[in-house]
Amino acid sequence: MLGLAIGAVPRAAPVSAAEILAEPPSDLIVTVYRAPYRSSGSINLNYLGGFALVTETRIVHLPAGRSRLRFEGVADGIEPASAIITGLAGGVIEKNRDARLLSPAALVAATLGKPVELLRTLRKTGKTERQTGTLLSDAGGGVVLKTEQGIEALRCSGLPETFSFEPVSGLSARPTLSVEVHSASAQTRQLTLSYLSRGFDWAADYTATLSDDGKSVDLGAWVTLANSNGVGFPAAHTQVVAGRINHEDGEVNPIDIGGPILAQCWPRGSTSDQPMILRFERSRGFDSINALAGMPAAAPAMLRESVVVTAQKVAQEQLGDLKLYRVPARTTLASRQSKQVRLMDRSGIPVDTVYGAEVEVDQDEAASTQAHRWLRTKNTAANHLGVALPAGGVAVFGAVDGRRLLEHESNLRDIAVDEEVEISMGESPDVQVTAIKEKASVDAPQGLLPLVPGVSLRSVKIGAADRVTISNPFAGGIEFELELRLEAGARVVRADHALGAKNGRPIFRLRVPAHETVTVRYQIEHTGDRILRTP
Amino acid sequence: MRVRLLYMGCSAWLLAASSWAADRTLSVTIYADDLALVQDRRDIDVKEGRQRIEFTEVSGQIRPETVSLAAADISIIEQNFDFDLLTPAKLMEKAVGQEITIVRVNPATGAETREQAQVLATNGGVVLKIGQRIEVLRDDGLPVRVIFSKVPDNLRARPTLSVSIIGARAGTRRATLSYLTPGLGWKADYVALYNESDSKIDVQGWVTLTNSSGTTYDNAQTLLVAGSPGQVDGGSNNNYRPPPRRSTLQTPGTESGNRERLGDYYLYPLAERTTIANLQTKQVSFLDVHGVPAEHGYEFRNRWLGTAEMPVSAKSIYSFSTSAHAGLGDQLPAGVLRFYMRDKRGDPQFIGESRIDHTPMGSTLSLATGDAFDVKVHAVVEKRTRISTFDWQTDMRYELTNALPRSVVVKLRQEGLWGDSSIKAESQKSFRSSAEAAEWAVTVPANGKATLTASFETRY
Repeated sequence: MLGLAIGAVPRAAPVSAAEILAEPPSDLIVTVYRAPYRSSGSINLNYLGGFALVTETRIVHLPAGRSRLRFEGVADGIEPASAIITGLAGGVIEKNRDARLLSPAALVAATLGKPVELLRTLRKTGKTERQTGTLLSDAGGGVVLKTEQGIEALRCSGLPETFSFEPVSGLSARPTLSVEVHSASAQTRQLTLSYLSRGFDWAADYTATLSDDGKSVDLGAWVTLANSNGVGFPAAHTQVVAGRINHEDGEVNPIDIGGPILAQCWPRGSTSDQPMILRFERSRGFDSINALAGMPAAAPAMLRESVVVTAQKVAQEQLGDLKLYRVPARTTLASRQSKQVRLMDRSGIPVDTVYGAEVEVDQDEAASTQAHRWLRTKNTAANHLGVALPAGGVAVFGAVDGRRLLEHESNLRDIAVDEEVEISMGESPDVQVTAIKEKASVDAPQGLLPLVPGVSLRSVKIGAADRVTISNPFAGGIEFELELRLEAGARVVRADHALGAKNGRPIFRLRVPAHETVTVRYQIEHTGDRILRTP
Repeated sequence: MRVRLLYMGCSAWLLAASSWAADRTLSVTIYADDLALVQDRRDIDVKEGRQRIEFTEVSGQIRPETVSLAAADISIIEQNFDFDLLTPAKLMEKAVGQEITIVRVNPATGAETREQAQVLATNGGVVLKIGQRIEVLRDDGLPVRVIFSKVPDNLRARPTLSVSIIGARAGTRRATLSYLTPGLGWKADYVALYNESDSKIDVQGWVTLTNSSGTTYDNAQTLLVAGSPGQVDGGSNNNYRPPPRRSTLQTPGTESGNRERLGDYYLYPLAERTTIANLQTKQVSFLDVHGVPAEHGYEFRNRWLGTAEMPVSAKSIYSFSTSAHAGLGDQLPAGVLRFYMRDKRGDPQFIGESRIDHTPMGSTLSLATGDAFDVKVHAVVEKRTRISTFDWQTDMRYELTNALPRSVVVKLRQEGLWGDSSIKAESQKSFRSSAEAAEWAVTVPANGKATLTASFETRY
């Protein structure tokens, strides 16, 4: 095998492929998926954990023979292993993604062992002296070079020094995808390039407005999607997909985001220094080159929060086991932008306001807790819903004297049609729940506590009862759900209210009238109690 | 033909290093576990007698203990791997006791004054002896250039391998350098397009090579090995075991393909020589199959006999065979399989992915791509009673809901049946796939519900 191509020297290898640049995308499709680990709640613009499938249509002009086709301007968060190219007649020989980026440090590394020009300027006179030399090392952040005068280190003299590099190849401004293709004849083709890219996310953001009587809500929702890539997607068919899908994260894709030329020197302590103060002196002349050392491919960083509100509504369709929401018209998803598209508007959805609390049984000390409040409804067409509700955040508004007020913010998981919808309204300090263990008071003031249906009298011994009081300071009655947390095997044997079950746990569903306090008494039988009695 | 410029600026190195002709053949064998065997054939110029040969452009992460050099008529004395790096600080440190040239630059006039100085120490600051005086370098902050006459012998820009040999005769000869290096790895990436109307998938397989070893391998003959040779963990005690994943392999295959193999490993040679650039991800196609029958189903696993506070989505499962007659007809190296499906407009959309292990031909794979939005299961412990000191009875109820306009079958799997567990009663016949788990295939009608109950007796 002859002709070895190393580094930036022009290749004399048999695989001499023409470099062809694909035209910018003529059509774009962007499908945004939410962060796989987030099952509810809104997106965090500072860290977009979702991803997107980007499909680009591009025109290429291929010469006959072998060529290296470059796609510039793909998203910085591209996962190269996921790239698919269709529309090539001759087939793809190989796909490459080069992550060596053009940066000051990469320039130094690429020039290692090669001639370089050193520029040294005298501040007083402004005279610049040019010296040719060879870069010997850039190890450990320091730069050592050889000139005809001898070996010197960069920027250790206190004079403004910089390099003037010879052109290097193989370094691009941002990660570039390229494919090696073979074409039988010169031709112009339309290709489709699709890939997954990080740095996107979306969520549904609901606003629920309670009616004055609190018996119904108007539910509106936005699809909020965001792109933290440095690349924008103009006039793209845009859609989002709801549902949690598997997507492996943390794949190691080597990437060199570049860095500044540090030019670290030898110890620079002076006689006035306290021992061991590390200090890198930078000449003023170098600030400009340091400023170049941006991070073009850095992970989604802070977003400039430019929020664009559009008033078109998305259309839903089924995609396998997922829900796809399509933005009806082409839209531009710009770089570092968050965008909102209307998801739905439904009004007059009947809701029940339910208060509730979970209590631990057998508490020796009176424990007072605030009741929790929910809005509850069912996702059915009869309730003016009956549509898939993708996960997101929900803000509930009420009105006082015609003035809109935020009541509570909470999260919503993915809710399918016909499922129960529960919107948390937070704690209600007005409704207090107090639980305490009453000493051997199964015989309540009114007499013995009644047995729970299905429990036989013979198997139950007299024991301690728990007492729970629920107070309602409101002008109207409230529905209350008192849920009991029991250890495995324990059961409620006596109770003075009807006992139900929810998720296999005992629950009392009560109505607490206006300005009243309701007291619930019950007796728990623990596993130990029964084992003692059974022979 | 290329002129070697690297390190040429340094005369001291030139004395030590024999140069070689640019004629060089590389072959790289990459294992799936971040390990590669590099064979580097170069022509080296050997003099008669003892000399040192430096090998540059070897992997930046070379494992020096695995290096072997073979060439005619040489005997090896020793092999060194120098990782003392050439930095300004090291340069100054090694110059202690030696003469350097300092050039004082007058900031007002630019006039240069040259002096010879001896470096006394570099502890915190550089202390120089100039004539009979002692000075601290640049103590006053005024510009002073320091010029060294040479670079110390074993300071390198990059870690460098050097071999001391005795040449029996002078002349150019072919040398083979081989070594192991991490930083090169590969895995497979699959693209599967699922066609919902006829339940078939088209699968493309790509080999994805990554190189973060710090070096570019030019025109290398590349061979990929599926399978991971046992590696001794360099003394580090890595006992971490990730939690077990859902097994993707349902039935291991027993067919053999016509791929080349080495021992128990399958080999995937790349058809052409290729350049593996540093920090590059490279993909080469190895599989393209159309119209493979696939099944789509749902699976729900309840990890233990417990209650879920709310309904949980079932997993969306795609299964297919890798056999020759009704499947992909190939063994699959480990990697990630990404599923796509066409939306109403006909554009392929991503619907999830799953990792697969090395899979023999003839296997049945069952891959979970994610959660089904519309198919959910709510598992509830209805009752837990203690029958005797060690026996418990747990009554489970599973509510299955389906918001799709077609009926589905959910493979419901109850796990966590440790110890002596048995099913006392159930609303539908179960299949005990292992002592630890029971399975039911529950049909849920379109836009409807189904309920399954089962009563478990467990003994601890």
